[in-house]
Amino acid sequence: MSEFFTRMGDGAGVYMTAEEIREDILKGVKDAADRGKVPELTQEEMDYLYQIITMPGNIVGVERGREVVSTSDSGSCKITYHANIAMERSMAVLVSEKVLGADSVDIGNMDYSYKAVKQIVHNETPVMELAQLNAVMPVLYGSMPNLGLYTKPDGPVENWSELLPLAKISEARAAQEEAVEHAVRDIVFVAGEMYEAGADGINLDTCGASGDADFLAGLLATEKIKEKYPDLGVEFGAAGEFVLGMHGKLEYDGTKIAGLYPHKQVKLAEKAGANIFGAVVNTNTNMSFPWNIARTVTFLKACTAVATIPVHVNVGMGVGGIPMSEIPPIDVVTRADKALIEIGKADGL
Amino acid sequence: MSVESIIEAAKQSIIDIDEEKAASVARQALEEGLNPVQVLTEGYSAGIREVGELFSRGEVFLPELILSAEAMKAATEILESAITGAAAEKIGKMIFATVEGDVHDIGKSIAIALIQTQGVEVIDLGRDVPVDKIIEAAEEHGARVIGTSALLTTTMPNQEKLEKALRERGLRDKYKTIIGGAPCTQRWADKIGADAYAEDAGEGVTKVLELMKA
Repeated sequence: MSEFFTRMGDGAGVYMTAEEIREDILKGVKDAADRGKVPELTQEEMDYLYQIITMPGNIVGVERGREVVSTSDSGSCKITYHANIAMERSMAVLVSEKVLGADSVDIGNMDYSYKAVKQIVHNETPVMELAQLNAVMPVLYGSMPNLGLYTKPDGPVENWSELLPLAKISEARAAQEEAVEHAVRDIVFVAGEMYEAGADGINLDTCGASGDADFLAGLLATEKIKEKYPDLGVEFGAAGEFVLGMHGKLEYDGTKIAGLYPHKQVKLAEKAGANIFGAVVNTNTNMSFPWNIARTVTFLKACTAVATIPVHVNVGMGVGGIPMSEIPPIDVVTRADKALIEIGKADGL
Repeated sequence: MSVESIIEAAKQSIIDIDEEKAASVARQALEEGLNPVQVLTEGYSAGIREVGELFSRGEVFLPELILSAEAMKAATEILESAITGAAAEKIGKMIFATVEGDVHDIGKSIAIALIQTQGVEVIDLGRDVPVDKIIEAAEEHGARVIGTSALLTTTMPNQEKLEKALRERGLRDKYKTIIGGAPCTQRWADKIGADAYAEDAGEGVTKVLELMKA
């Protein structure tokens, strides 16, 4: 029986039979449909996904005319820390555009959090100004809301990670609500400075990394940014396939935030005024690439079906069907891209 | 009430996050002469596993998970007194840490909350903990199990470093080790020589209990 080379979620190489691949595709689809309460892929789509996974060649590509835009969060830093080539950030923006063919990138600081950046924003704005003078593509400024940085001893509010195990639930919730106010203020401040420096947009990256309060901070900041600077684009990137309920009761526009999957996350991002939504589906390191990509495409298809703004799916280490390994293997990266675009209907990567 | 209905009530009290009911069912189980170990494992523990599963699906949130663990603790204390005939005794000590260079500890906190409900005394060393400190704490507290969490591919090697350090100091057979965290797998555990791997907090409970008995 012939076998096909593919990967596990941790990047390990594995040979699977056609039957095993089809079985994992079906299981991945059903897992996503069950968890997210979204429609399963059709048999035709699953057959096409099988074809993509088993296509000969190390890399594959989308059909002509179905190309999408690509962007890179903290893109101005990645040449330095992935390729180990020390490069000034505005220069890295130009290399991304003119050498790597990026359609946009964001400039970010190594301390990739708005709280950290507000202290040094006067150093960040000249980098943005220089990049804007030389780049043709849209250049965004990016950072994370990173609500955890507002807790003691790093910040002013009580630490809910310490309060929750002590069952001090109301105190933990109050601390998160207070942190939201601080985070929104910092994000809007940095966005204003970047607007003045000529930024095309703000990337709110990994909203929800500290749970539902973190996600709420991103939504409220988006609202305020759009009120103050209507021309400034906002890319709202999620942190995970569902919003972790660290608080559990927070709502936005009457919708409870905790537990929302991408097809519902995107609707809140739209209401807040975001221009692009960055969908995330997590990779399970113990499952195969066919299982992970089938699951990711199922979640994504449901998300793009209801979205009225572009959805740029996160396709990097540990998300979007990509294995969680330091160097994502190209043999599965391009298959993931093709599947997400052609079946999941991603507007961008 | 039948044995089955008491066990079901015990399980449901945890799912419903009803601490008062959890305690009253535990007392009723003892009054009716039920085996406390059976009530604990088939009732309360099954309930907490179900809550853990709902949490992993985004259907139950962290505060509810913590309160469920509190309800379980209340019931466990009552049942443990009957098991030992005295104050509840812990079945063993465990050191738990997020490895050096890694500041992620949500998963670790969840795992600890659940493991503690099973009578294991967990010494939480927090996050970003060097290997030397983990071994010192294990020696100081007389732990049986050492658990480490890593969320980054760049910090996973510190789990391997721990295994090597234990071997170099002649302590490897003294402890059982368990690893977890998003990038970790059973393959990684086998490669570095860890005794166990747990995919999530629920599996962590089962594996730690097995290691305590080993």
